[in-house]
Amino acid sequence: MLESVDGGVYRLDDLPGERVALLFAHSECPTSKLALERLGPLGPGLAARGTRLVCIVQEPLETAARLARQNGVEALVLAERPPYEAARAFGVETVPTTIVLSADGSVEGSVVGWMADALNELLPVRVPDAEPRWKPGCEARPGHDLNLPVRAAGVFDELEDMFERGWTDGLPVVPPTADRVAAMLGERDPDRSLGAVPPALGEATVARVAACAVLAGCKPAYFPVVLAAVEAVLDPDFNVHGQAVTTSPPGQIAIVNGPVRNALGFNSGMGVLGPGNRANLTVGRAVRLVVQLTGGGVPGGLDRATLGHQGKISFCFAENEEASPWEPLSVERGFPSDASTVSLIGGDAPLSISDHRSKTPRELAATIGWAAAATWSPFWWPLDATSLFVLGHEHVQLFAQAGWSKADVREAIFEQVRRPARELRHGETTPLVQAADPDTAIAKWDDPERIVIVVAGGEAGRFSAVCGPSLGMQASVITREVQWTT
Amino acid sequence: MDYVSPIDERVRRPEPLARRTASIEGKTVALLDISKNRGAEFLDRLEQRLQAHGAKTMRFRKPTFSRPAPAELIGEIALHGDLAVEALAD
Repeated sequence: MLESVDGGVYRLDDLPGERVALLFAHSECPTSKLALERLGPLGPGLAARGTRLVCIVQEPLETAARLARQNGVEALVLAERPPYEAARAFGVETVPTTIVLSADGSVEGSVVGWMADALNELLPVRVPDAEPRWKPGCEARPGHDLNLPVRAAGVFDELEDMFERGWTDGLPVVPPTADRVAAMLGERDPDRSLGAVPPALGEATVARVAACAVLAGCKPAYFPVVLAAVEAVLDPDFNVHGQAVTTSPPGQIAIVNGPVRNALGFNSGMGVLGPGNRANLTVGRAVRLVVQLTGGGVPGGLDRATLGHQGKISFCFAENEEASPWEPLSVERGFPSDASTVSLIGGDAPLSISDHRSKTPRELAATIGWAAAATWSPFWWPLDATSLFVLGHEHVQLFAQAGWSKADVREAIFEQVRRPARELRHGETTPLVQAADPDTAIAKWDDPERIVIVVAGGEAGRFSAVCGPSLGMQASVITREVQWTT
Repeated sequence: MDYVSPIDERVRRPEPLARRTASIEGKTVALLDISKNRGAEFLDRLEQRLQAHGAKTMRFRKPTFSRPAPAELIGEIALHGDLAVEALAD
């Protein structure tokens, strides 16, 4: 029994009494891909000349479907699994192998590997006249381990298999075996849908999100945070469609608040925006893998980012609530102080801000705010999107000792970062600047509420950071409560 | 090895392209501005040239370039236009 990628189940014996061209292939063989790419689209032409093309792909159904889609196959595509009875029945030892069967089931001829001239003799339609015209094939699946794809050296490499499938962000991943995904899922309904993930609108079932969490390296304990983050990403007001396909660099930044931070070991302290913490890095990575794999926002594919940034691999951190004199982001956004939340912001890579000299809160707010003056574009004032300021411990202490609230800092940044319109009339500038009186002071933001402030980082060092906006996306900050119990 | 795929592997059948028209004369061309910088200028020029070749034109505009066109807008274009041109920009 062979499953078809369009949902049917076939036995080769059941194919109606017609001439059939069987193409055996698998995903690890470049010559197989060449044959699928060149023969696959000829399905309708062959059918018009009385020969039905049937591609038998020695892969799980989803891999067979992907290969067919990637190579423009317009034919019946069947997924063959161990023990590869069809391949054995025809003595297929090499892929690709093309076998033509007459209507009575007898073999008319076969071609092993890619041989354009021989295929032109065998088939009623000419194959594309393209180089290479001859390419040797690869070992077919039944020649080795019955269950696992095998590398040339004869040793199965599960991690390489993930790269072959494209289930990666470019770094090695943890293979999402059924056992690992089951552990991630726990008692949750694997088929519950969180919604369609832009841009390709793949459905984010809980099982697929769990697969992404496994791939990212999450512990099962982190999964409630991943689920809440994905729910936030899929909020229409986050506009992940725009963020996923834009040529601009921004990615998705996840900020964790509440008891879940310390209980699961998220880092909110030293090196908070850098390497070293599994919870931060894997949860952020899981979110991005959902966008990339389930959503189809593949860099260079539907993700059209000109440059991108490394935060598009993973960008998640926790607020250092213990070091903050202010209400945390979650409370600012309307959640109770004992709630665990994750907030999603579309944003650029962090730009660090050193200030070891300011003596007054007003001076320090100016330094921090002016660092953001060049974000997005130096003369593009005002920004109508969120800028995320991550304030370090020592900077926050200076504000706190002066009795400043978070709102005071926000207002001081907003009020001080202004330039006369005439100084902004260079290259890329805004219609507002062009229309303004030359001496009118233009603020960097159109509204102080665009300035989001989070406290994070280690105790020592007078550093903060700003992440530029995801401009043009009309992307709101979205917060979701983490459904989590100790 | 059986894995749980992170990808929605359902096969989507591609929509076939509409039949190409031999002539634009007398046809209504829907011109869709995606609301990006200077896209309208491009469409202005295109509109002049299409009209010079005997086409009628209708202008449409997406609310924002960063989201897909609303279904109602696509419906309007399909209802009133024989042909459509979408202007990218920047």
